Amino acid sequence: MKHVVGLDEPGKRVILQGNEAFARGAVEAGVQVAAGYPGTPSSEIMETLSMVAKDLGFHAEWAVNEKVALDVAVGAASVGARTIATMKNAGTNWVMDMFSTVVYGGLPGALVIVSADDPEAFYSSTEEDTRFLAKGVGVMILEPSTQQEAKDMTKAAFDYSERFELPVFIRSVTRISHSSGDVTFGEIRKERNPIFFDRHYKLPFRYNVYGPFKYKGKTGPTAKHAWQLEQLEKIKEFVNEVPFNKIEKGSTRLGIIAAGMGYAYVKDSLIKLDAEGKPWILKVGTPFPLPEKLLKEFIDSVDKILVVEEGDPFIEEQLYAFMKEYAPEKPIYGKTKNQVLLRYGELGLSQVVNAVAKFLGLNPPKVDESRKKLKEEISAIIAPRSSALCPGCQHLGTYWGLRFALIKVASKFKDKWKGVWIVNGDIGCYEQGGYGIFAKEIIPSTKKESKRYMFNNPYEILDTNYIMGGGIGLAQGQYQAGYRDGPIVAVAGDSTFFHACMPALANAVYNKAAITFIVMDNSWTAMTGHQPSPSSGWTAMGEPARVIKIEDVAKALGVEHVFTVDPYDIKATEETIMKAILTSVEKKVPTVVVARRECALQVARRASRSGVNLTYYTVNQDKCIGCTLCVQLGCPAVGWDKEKKKAFIDPVLCVACGLCAQVCPVKAIVPAKEGVKLTEVK
Amino acid sequence: MAGRNYYLMIAGVGGQGSVLLSRIIGDAALMKGLSVRIGETFGAAQRGGAVHSHVRIGEEVYGPLLIEDEADALLALEPLEGLRRGVIYLKPGGIAVVNTRKVYPIDVNVGAADYPEVEKILDALKKLGARLVAYDFTKLAEEAGTTRAMNIAVLGAYARMIEEADAPFDKVTLLEAMKGRVPKRWLDANIKAFELGYKVADEEISGK
Ligand SMILES: Cc1ncc(C[n+]2csc(CCOP(=O)(O)OP(=O)(O)O)c2C)c(N)n1
Repeated sequence: MKHVVGLDEPGKRVILQGNEAFARGAVEAGVQVAAGYPGTPSSEIMETLSMVAKDLGFHAEWAVNEKVALDVAVGAASVGARTIATMKNAGTNWVMDMFSTVVYGGLPGALVIVSADDPEAFYSSTEEDTRFLAKGVGVMILEPSTQQEAKDMTKAAFDYSERFELPVFIRSVTRISHSSGDVTFGEIRKERNPIFFDRHYKLPFRYNVYGPFKYKGKTGPTAKHAWQLEQLEKIKEFVNEVPFNKIEKGSTRLGIIAAGMGYAYVKDSLIKLDAEGKPWILKVGTPFPLPEKLLKEFIDSVDKILVVEEGDPFIEEQLYAFMKEYAPEKPIYGKTKNQVLLRYGELGLSQVVNAVAKFLGLNPPKVDESRKKLKEEISAIIAPRSSALCPGCQHLGTYWGLRFALIKVASKFKDKWKGVWIVNGDIGCYEQGGYGIFAKEIIPSTKKESKRYMFNNPYEILDTNYIMGGGIGLAQGQYQAGYRDGPIVAVAGDSTFFHACMPALANAVYNKAAITFIVMDNSWTAMTGHQPSPSSGWTAMGEPARVIKIEDVAKALGVEHVFTVDPYDIKATEETIMKAILTSVEKKVPTVVVARRECALQVARRASRSGVNLTYYTVNQDKCIGCTLCVQLGCPAVGWDKEKKKAFIDPVLCVACGLCAQVCPVKAIVPAKEGVKLTEVK
Repeated sequence: MAGRNYYLMIAGVGGQGSVLLSRIIGDAALMKGLSVRIGETFGAAQRGGAVHSHVRIGEEVYGPLLIEDEADALLALEPLEGLRRGVIYLKPGGIAVVNTRKVYPIDVNVGAADYPEVEKILDALKKLGARLVAYDFTKLAEEAGTTRAMNIAVLGAYARMIEEADAPFDKVTLLEAMKGRVPKRWLDANIKAFELGYKVADEEISGK
C-alpha cells in the first residue's frame, strides 16, 4: 500500500493532513471513481486517492479541468457508482453548469463534491466562499471543523448522497485541507455498488433533463426542478439528525453558532479564556440547510448570538432571515450588522479569541505596551520575502527572452507606436511574473494614456492576471478594442493550456486577433505539486499515457505560425519570441510559441533519486564586473553582495541549470566542481 | 479542562524541510498519546517562498493556529524567517533554535531591501526573551552527509534544549519519530545530523 489511508486497520490513529483525511473518508466509503483537477489547497485529496486506487481497485484520474472531472463523476454516478470530484474554489466556478443541472434528475449512485476554499487567498485569485454556489444549486453542504471530521463527513456524505439521490457538497478551507491532525480510522466498506444502467430508474428519463418527465403538472426541466425541491424538503428535516450538528449546553444565556474552522477556533478560544461551558454552542456541520429544530432549541436558550464561520456571513445571513420570524428581538453578532469579525481575510484564532472574549465580557490575552514597542522596532529590520520562481526554473529563461524581445520589438517600431506592450499573465508558476517585489513601493498613476514601465527582474513582467485561461482571451479583447500602442502577448503553462486555452485559441484564429501566445510547457502541473498534464505522459495512477503535443493542437486549431524553443537557450528564446511577435503584428494573425523544457525541480529530484551528483555554478569574483545581469535573471540562487558589488551563487540552492552563465557577459560564472549539469540528467 | 498545551512554530524557506520537521514532531506527540494539530502555509511557490508551520500539542486541541506570544519553541531553518515568525509568536522565555545560514530574498538581490545582519537577528530574538541556540546547521548537516539533513540537525539541537524545559517529549521520542519519517537511504546521515545538532546545543548550554 503506497499510502497509509489505504490500510484496512480500523482504530488506527495517525496524523493526516486534511486532504488525506478526505481521501480516507472516500476510501472508507468504498469510492469507485474519483476525478479532480489540481488546485491548492485541494490537490492532495486526489493525489492520495491515486496512490491507493490500484491496490483498492477503483479508478482515480486527473481530468484536464474541473468541469470535465465533474462530468466524469456524474457519468460514473449515473451508472450507480460511488464517486467523488475534488477541486479548489476557482474550480467550483468551472463546474457550475453541470452542478446546477445534474440536481434536476439526481443520480442513483453517490456523488460527493469537495471544494476547498482559501480564505486569506494564500494560493488563490480570490477568497470566494463556494457555499453560496452549492446553496444556489440546492444541495446539502457539509463543513468539517477538524481532520477527523473531514474523514467522517466524507464517509457519511456518500450515504447521504445515495439516500437523497442528490450530490453532497463538502466545503473545506485551507486550514482544514492543509492542516494536519490526529485521525482514527474507521471500517472500510467492502461492498461495491452494482454498475448498471436504466434510463428510467426511479424517474422517467432520469438522465435527460429535457425528457418528457411529467410531475406536478409540469414537464421537462420544470418537472424535475419540482422533484428536486421535494428532495430538499426531506434534507431539511434530516439535517436535524446528522451527528455533525449538535448543541453544547452553556451556563449563561449567551450563544455561539460556530461552523467549520470557526468551531475549532471557538473551542480553542474558550480553553484560552478559561470559559469552557459558559456559552451555549450550536455546532453547525451543515451550513445548508441549517438544522432548524436544533436552531430553535438553541435560540430559546440564549439572549444573544455570536456567529463564527470562515468566509462570508453565509450562516449569519440565513440566521437573520430565520430570526426575523422566530425571535427578531435577539441580537446577532458576527460579520454583518453587529460586526465583531472581519469579512475579508481568514478568521484566525487571534481574531476569534478577541471576539469571543468581548462577547462573553472577558479580557482577551494582551501583549503589554513595552513589548509591543519592542516588536515594532524589531519588525522594522525584517526584509520582506517576495515569492520567487525556483532555482533553475525554465520559466526564468522564457521571461528573460520575452523581456528583451519586447524591448527590441518596441524600439523597432519606434515611429509606429508608443511601444507599450501588454503581457497578459495566467495561472501557474509563471504567474509569479506578476507578483512584483514586495519591498518596492508603487505609486498609482491617474492619466488615461498608455505608459510603459521598465523593470529589471522577471517578477514585474505580467500586466494582467486573473484566472486560468483568462490571459489569451483578454489579449484578444485588447486587440479587438483597437489597442495598437504595442504588441499584445499572453502566456500560459501546459496544464492551463489544456484546461482552458484551447477554445480561446480557436477563437483567436477564427476572429483574427493579432496576438502572440506563449505556452510555457514544463510537462507538469508544477505549481500545484507536479500532477501530470496531457503533456507529461503519465496518468494519475502512474500508467504511461500518450503525450498530446501543444504545437499539434495549435496547428489543428488553425494557427499558421507555431514556433518551438528551449527556454534554456536564452538567445534562441529571445529571437523566437521576437519573430513570433513580429509575425503576428505584420500578418495580423495569432502566433504561438511553445517554450518547452521540463520543470527543473522534477529533473533535480530525479537526479537525486537516482544518485546523480549535480554540480553547482560559482561566480569567479575576479572576473565579475558587477553588471548585475545574472541577478536580473531572478533566480533565487543568484545573490548580490552589496559590499563587494559582486554576484554570488548559493551552492545549496543552485541546480546547475547554467542559465546565469549564459547571461554573464564576461563568462565569470562557471561550474564549481566536477559533476553533472541539470541539462545532462536523463 | 484541558491540561497545558504545547506550542511550536517552525519557520523557513520552501525546500528546507519544515513540513517534514513538523510531521516528525507531530508523530512524537502522537507517541505520547497526545492530540496534534499542524497548520502549514507555504506561499504560492514550490521553492524559495516563506514557509511556516504552527504546531499545537495537548490533550485537547482543535484548530492549528497559534496566537501571539504563545510559542514555547521556535525552530528557525533560516534566520530572517525565524525572526519574521519569532517576533509575533515566540513567548518570553521560549526556546529558539536558529540556523544561521541565510537565504537571500529576491527583494534583497534586486536591491529593494537589505538583509539584516544575522547578529542583529539573534540579538532581536534574545531581546524578545528567547533561550537561544544559533549555528550554521546547514554546514553541520553537510558534515553529516547532506545539506538536506539541516532540518534534522536543528531538531537535534532542539532535543537538547528541551531537556532544560517543559516539553511533551524527549530526545528518544524525537529520534524515534525522525527515523520513521526520513527516507531510508538518508537515515544514517540524518541520525548523524541529529546527534551533531544535539552536541551543538549541549556545548552551548554547558558553556563550552
Ligand atoms: C480553475 C482553477 N483550477 C485550478 C487552479 C489551481 N492552479 C493554479 S496554477 C495551476 C496550473 C499550473 O500548471 P501549468 O499551467 O502547467 O503551469 P506550471 O505551474 O507548471 O508552470 C493550477 C491548476 C486554479 N488556479 N484555477
